[in-house]
Amino acid sequence: MAESPADAVAAQTAVARSPIAAAVPTVRDGWEVDATVAVGPLTLSDETPLAKVAVRAPFDGAARAALGVRYGRTGRVDIGGDRVLIAGAGPGEWLALGAPGTGSALVASLEELLAGTGEFTSVLDLTHGRALVRLEGAAAPSVLAGVCAIDFSDTVTPDGTALRTSVAAVVTDVVRDDRGTQRSGAAATGAVGVPSFLLHCERSSGQYLADALLEAGAGAGLEVTGFRGLEPSRG
Amino acid sequence: MSLLPTPRRPRAARPTDRADAERLPPRAGEVIDRRRTVGFRWNGTPYTGHPGDTIVSALAAAGERVFSRSYKYHRPRGLLTANYLDPGCMVQVGDEPNVRGAHRLLTDGMDVRSQNTWPSLRFDVRAVNGLASRFLATGFYYKTFIKPEVLWPAYEKVLRTFVHAGEVPPDSAPGHYDKRYAHPDVVVAGGGPAGMAAAVAAARAGATVMLVEEEHQLGGHLRWGGPAELARLAELRALVAAEPAIEVLTDAVVGARFDDNWIPVVARGIPGIDERLIKARAGALVVAPGLVERPYVFAGNDLPGVVLSTAVRRLVNLHAVRPGRRAVVLTANPEGDAAVADLESAGVEVAEVVDARRGEGVRAAHGRSGLRVVELGDGRRVEADLLVTAVGWTAPTSLLNQSGDRPVYEPRAARFLPDPTRMPENVLAAGGIAGDGDVDALVEHADAVGREAARRAGRSAGAAVTVPALPVADHPELFSAGTGGFVDFSEDVSAKDITTAAAEGYDSVELVKRYTTATMGPAQGKLETVNTVAVLAAATGRTIAETGTTTWRPMWAPVTLGALAGRSHEPVRYSPMQPWHERHGAVPLIAGQWIRPEHYGDPAGEVTAVRTGVGIIDVTPIGKLDLRGPDVAKLLNLLYVNKWSKLGVGRVRYGVMCAEDGVVMDDGVTGRLGEDHYLMSTTSSGAATVWEWVENWLQTAHPEWRVHVTPVTTAYASINIAGPRSRELLGRLTDVDLDPERFGYMQVRTGRVAGVDDCVLWRIGFTGELSYEVHVPAGYGLHVWERLMATGADLGVRPFGVEAQRILRLEKGHAIVGQDTDGLTQGFSAGLDGLIKLDKDDFVGLPELRWQRERDTAPRLVGLRPLDATVVPPEASQILDRAGGIAGRVTSSRMSPTLGRSIGLAQLDRELAEVGTRVTVRLPDGRDVAAEVTDPVHVDPEGAKLRG
Repeated sequence: MAESPADAVAAQTAVARSPIAAAVPTVRDGWEVDATVAVGPLTLSDETPLAKVAVRAPFDGAARAALGVRYGRTGRVDIGGDRVLIAGAGPGEWLALGAPGTGSALVASLEELLAGTGEFTSVLDLTHGRALVRLEGAAAPSVLAGVCAIDFSDTVTPDGTALRTSVAAVVTDVVRDDRGTQRSGAAATGAVGVPSFLLHCERSSGQYLADALLEAGAGAGLEVTGFRGLEPSRG
Repeated sequence: MSLLPTPRRPRAARPTDRADAERLPPRAGEVIDRRRTVGFRWNGTPYTGHPGDTIVSALAAAGERVFSRSYKYHRPRGLLTANYLDPGCMVQVGDEPNVRGAHRLLTDGMDVRSQNTWPSLRFDVRAVNGLASRFLATGFYYKTFIKPEVLWPAYEKVLRTFVHAGEVPPDSAPGHYDKRYAHPDVVVAGGGPAGMAAAVAAARAGATVMLVEEEHQLGGHLRWGGPAELARLAELRALVAAEPAIEVLTDAVVGARFDDNWIPVVARGIPGIDERLIKARAGALVVAPGLVERPYVFAGNDLPGVVLSTAVRRLVNLHAVRPGRRAVVLTANPEGDAAVADLESAGVEVAEVVDARRGEGVRAAHGRSGLRVVELGDGRRVEADLLVTAVGWTAPTSLLNQSGDRPVYEPRAARFLPDPTRMPENVLAAGGIAGDGDVDALVEHADAVGREAARRAGRSAGAAVTVPALPVADHPELFSAGTGGFVDFSEDVSAKDITTAAAEGYDSVELVKRYTTATMGPAQGKLETVNTVAVLAAATGRTIAETGTTTWRPMWAPVTLGALAGRSHEPVRYSPMQPWHERHGAVPLIAGQWIRPEHYGDPAGEVTAVRTGVGIIDVTPIGKLDLRGPDVAKLLNLLYVNKWSKLGVGRVRYGVMCAEDGVVMDDGVTGRLGEDHYLMSTTSSGAATVWEWVENWLQTAHPEWRVHVTPVTTAYASINIAGPRSRELLGRLTDVDLDPERFGYMQVRTGRVAGVDDCVLWRIGFTGELSYEVHVPAGYGLHVWERLMATGADLGVRPFGVEAQRILRLEKGHAIVGQDTDGLTQGFSAGLDGLIKLDKDDFVGLPELRWQRERDTAPRLVGLRPLDATVVPPEASQILDRAGGIAGRVTSSRMSPTLGRSIGLAQLDRELAEVGTRVTVRLPDGRDVAAEVTDPVHVDPEGAKLRG
């Protein structure tokens, strides 16, 4: 039986979905998220609902200075009144992560911030184009060692590191964003908090990447936990 | 002379009777757990052992002496080394062949069998080979089977049945092989006292350490020592355990050392995993494998009952097994002396101690299925079921050789020693491989090596650590008694084979190796190399140093193909609508990494639905690039064969890219969304290639152009709504004005669809129907798809898959790049005559395309219709010219539900490409069918449907 146009309009409340299936789905901030709560210390959470905005600009110019983050590093910056995490995972490329639903506002704020630099820049909302997960726990580097050739020790990739690499054969931006550290202090001398990694890949590979991480972490007790958002991991 | 009784039990004996036959009372250093018993079968007969037993130690405890038949002559073989290297202990366990029975730990329920013995291990008919051994000498393969060449396959088939190896049943369950990466500061290869001391020292100096030991426990030779050695072992193990920076891997092996300390480590015994390959990148490598005891070459040296002193000590002290009843011991060193003491403590009668240091020797061993008599150098014959030899050591320098070192032979010590001057900065040696000394001396040396390794790995500052030199103890050179015997037990290569090879002119050790296969067996030369060199040296009148050694190549130990392959990571990609497709019975199509719906059960019906009503298809995999900047039009003009300067905002244009050679590379449409903002689409399979292509041109040829390219393929869920009622369906869900006067063919709009903002709508028509391609922010893709299906139910909307789309586009004559073109198809052969603008100043491929046009001889893309409308020539069927030569091929073909007949596209020689030409199509089954060349467009050639 066909719906009437009125019915159709009434049913047009759109819910956004992550590419990673939720075991216990619930809706938060317009996104379907997982309500599962892990009990163990090693967790994987789907953070896809976070706003994800890409910035392109010269590698090391006024735009970089305005963003306050250089290539290979991350930083938390106040933009447009919101606290966002900016990662310089590629040369001349930055990814700004903000709270769910703030993508358009973040684009506008960044465009305003960069407009004064005089450089050729572009800002693009990729919230729907990328999958984002957080792997957290003391054993997180060990889990990553099963799927990635990079050395994730504190000395080589300390808190605040951003890099682009292959994780389980998927091009992935890896951002180390430890819990319980203050970037300006501990990160400079080595992590003292709980290792925590944001992994960011093209959306269509999100489920595969999550599955690969869960398989790699099965022996270490890796558990799925629900959406956590950007700030809860900060100590 | 009387035969010594060999313990035997009737086949029907209870397993426990067998298990206890040769088991000794508890030993101080034993590794078995006597509180528990595990059951297993050996060639079908039940046996028991204890956790901690190896397969062979459990069998030896039950009195078994023969575990295999040899490679070529099928001679009975028993224990020799009682460790991983033991060549006589290769067995089949379940469906796993070539298991190292003297290393693999016993588990409950194991089904263990001897390999390639028929009808039984005890009586193997292929042992008849031994009678023909004079005809099976060195190189007999080459000499005997070289002619006639045509018979080699038959020879090979027969010869393979003689090979001593196990079987992999075709229905074997796949194993689980894992792969990991590691970045330790220091890798220590070998977990004996020196390895442990080096690891502790490196860890205390601040290094992370991976300590790798081939055996199941750390400790090396300390494990089978007396109270003092066991106390030292406990102390060292405690020190290792106290260092959290040390990762201990037992039952693991450092497989090789490559440049920059890239070190593959194969780890076994991990629950749920057959083997794990660890790809380690270490700051420093400490090579501490200890020494390998060397067999002695004499007649009968392969008889079961002839064993090495270290094997005896392992059996007695680790597994509490009495290795025999009456022994002769040939000793040239303290390890042999200690073996005498161990045997006596185990209740073995030591009938004779032959001390090589006093010039005494052994000439031969005699027996049939086991040792019965030992013939001494002075001619006496001693009855014994056990002959223990302790004649010297081989330094397993493989990892050092792979690091560039060239160990030198030291006659005084009768072994090779590393050349410290040739070792790279990041490789060090410790333990017996570097020199001799008591445990204190070895530990002191290794401690310094460990600290220096940490320093070289960048973990500790300061001056270089002074590493004390280890002394080198004198040892008699004992390799061969000169009475024959086997040099390589794995390959059945005898001393006579070596001397024969030398006599035939193979006087280089590398040639001898290849001619005789000595050192090429599972032990990979660790037991055989030095004896091979020594026998060859004696045969050629050269010294061992002059003779040299064979090359030690990776891997240190044989590695399974599974471990090398590791876990395979094969990414798959899904559209946001995949859950809906799965729920609605879509037949999946694997398209590269993408999983797509091929159809929903009735592709012909799906075609008809689109032609007569409306259908929707998930086209998310179509490549999409977001292009921004004031110079995008220049970029498009450079990369596409057609013109882009005047594309207005809100317009869409089809474009084709060619490579520099004019070959068609990709196609798609690009829409102009704003003044400096474009959205480019590519083929699904070409998305990554085109992105790289675009970036390559921007970064290398025109870095001055201000263009930013971002792949957004999966930022959008893409849905094509096609059919005469597509406008009606879409109109119910969008605020975009779909009036054809204001949103015409090849135009683009943005707006809201099913409550979702920021959607991009293209009015294009790959299917040949009125259609809209809607690109939705991907998180809402499933929502929009479901709304389209629900809202269009009264219109008869149907989902259609890739197969229906292929038919629809074929009816319309739209080519697919990569299917209707290939790696040689230039632009004018792809039906692009009207698109290619040779009057442009420049574009990629322009010179080649100009030449192609001038030549005008290239094949053409044509339509094709078999005269028999029911015949669908399979794609790739050949098209023949009038002389029967190949004139082209069918690139696409289907039965058209719209026309009720078969149709196709073809690449065809220029002279046959005129519409109306009759050609012959040869089908794969050899039949010929007649067909007529047509215009490529089979349905709606005027394009009225598209523009409706």
